[in-house]
Amino acid sequence: MSATHIIGVFDSKHDLLTGIEGVKAKNFVIDEIYTPYPVMEAIDALKRKSHFTKAAFLYGFAAVIGVLSFLYYTSVIDWPINYGGKPTNAFPSFIIITLVLTILTVTILSLFTFSIRARIFPGKKYFLPDERATDDKFIILFDKNNAGGGFEAISGVLKANGASEVYEKEF
Amino acid sequence: MDTNVIFSKKFNYITYVLMALGAIGLVYGFLTDTHRTWANLLLNNYYFLSLAIGAAFFFSLQYITQSGWSAMFRRIPEALMAYIPYAAVIMLVMFFGLHDIYHWSHPDLVAGDELLAHKAPYLNVPFFMIRIVIFFGAWILLTRYLRKLSLQEDSLGGIEMFEKMEFWSKVFIFVLALTFSMASFDWIMSIDAHWFSTIFAFKNFGAAFYHGTSLIALIAIVLHKKGYFKDMNEYHLLDFSRYMFGLSIIWGYLYFAQFALIWFGNIPEETIYYAKRWDNGWKIFFYLNFAINWFIPFIVLLPQKFDKNINIVYGICIMLLLGLYTDIYEQVMPDFLKSPSIGIIEIGVFAGLAGLFLFAFGKALAKVPLIAKNHPYLEESIHHHLH
Repeated sequence: MSATHIIGVFDSKHDLLTGIEGVKAKNFVIDEIYTPYPVMEAIDALKRKSHFTKAAFLYGFAAVIGVLSFLYYTSVIDWPINYGGKPTNAFPSFIIITLVLTILTVTILSLFTFSIRARIFPGKKYFLPDERATDDKFIILFDKNNAGGGFEAISGVLKANGASEVYEKEF
Repeated sequence: MDTNVIFSKKFNYITYVLMALGAIGLVYGFLTDTHRTWANLLLNNYYFLSLAIGAAFFFSLQYITQSGWSAMFRRIPEALMAYIPYAAVIMLVMFFGLHDIYHWSHPDLVAGDELLAHKAPYLNVPFFMIRIVIFFGAWILLTRYLRKLSLQEDSLGGIEMFEKMEFWSKVFIFVLALTFSMASFDWIMSIDAHWFSTIFAFKNFGAAFYHGTSLIALIAIVLHKKGYFKDMNEYHLLDFSRYMFGLSIIWGYLYFAQFALIWFGNIPEETIYYAKRWDNGWKIFFYLNFAINWFIPFIVLLPQKFDKNINIVYGICIMLLLGLYTDIYEQVMPDFLKSPSIGIIEIGVFAGLAGLFLFAFGKALAKVPLIAKNHPYLEESIHHHLH
């Protein structure tokens, strides 16, 4: 599964952004961008849309319904107890439990969703094309087979737009 | 950039007409039902004061957090603060209506009531009036000073004014925390003098901040539609919506927290407050408040697409202004009316004070250029961009 990749290294976020602009102007296809901290412009540039918020909303909705029906089942249907004359369906006091359990459910399910989508699991070997991306460098990664250009062409564009270093690597 | 807002003649006429309606409403009210009229005066004055105080708090918060995005809009809360002196005058006039509103102000009733007698060192007429003077004195002095610094910045420039304002904003919110809490205890909670809620001040302050912010957003949108604030973009809207969204949760939380504890504790001294607000058709306000102030803003402002849509935010802002009214109406009026009703007095007094509020706001806004030009974060505000 090894393929040749072209790696462009940038020294600052500003350089990275001009680099992305330059690459997009020439219609090369970026495979991935690695940055030391989240750079929203890079996510925009990759045109990746996340449906994560929608998933989280659905989890929350399901959790509210689930928790409320569970509370209704336990305290009204299965084992009604009279607490100081309160109605067995003590809805206002259910809300607090519902809030807390909803947060818990959404958190855990979101964690699993994210892990599955990002294919992360305990014991997975990390993959990093250039280790300096965890320090102070910004990395643009191209897959040479479908980048839409050769090393010379891409390297020229990156260098012209502020890349400090461009090299090829196989993995 | 140096343009002032020019209000049309129509706007001025409308404020005068509203004020005239208010005068008619007051005269009619004092001839027919004095209790109800004083209560309405309190309700509406507190309503508009809440908006002004909320706007002032928003204003000082922008300095304390050194927010850049809102630098363009700061003249709006500045102008909204101009209502505070008018509110002071009306609150002082309320002296003549104390006996109609607060039963702790009757010495003969207090004498036969152990609990009220116990509270008398705090809840008595002279100290009550002194507190009004102190509260408004502090607010007027501080908001005037902040406004003065802001205007000085326009002519002098530099960063010195900004730092001064940041410091005085901190002083202001500290003073506000104490005074507005006591003010809401004094004016609203003491209507039911036997009842108390320790979260009350925070709840009402949260409402003031929430609805004050939505009023600022509303005015920004209206001015944008009229051709001012040309640089206002969807990201400013998004920030306003985020404020409202977050505050809607806080409002819902506080409103529910007060209710849930009383419902769960089930102590007659406390539940009487809600018993009064649930019987005789009042219960609809309980649900209406949740719907207008929490549920609808929460659901509608959840997707970012709606947050950035000017017409949706516009609608939500208008709805929230109604929401503050129903919130305070539910707190004040059950003690004066058997069942909820909106009559000539309600509409008249509201119209009158709305006219006064718009008059004060319009005068203060039109006096100086709409955009404060030497604010250090102004460029950031104009080129505001989010992801």
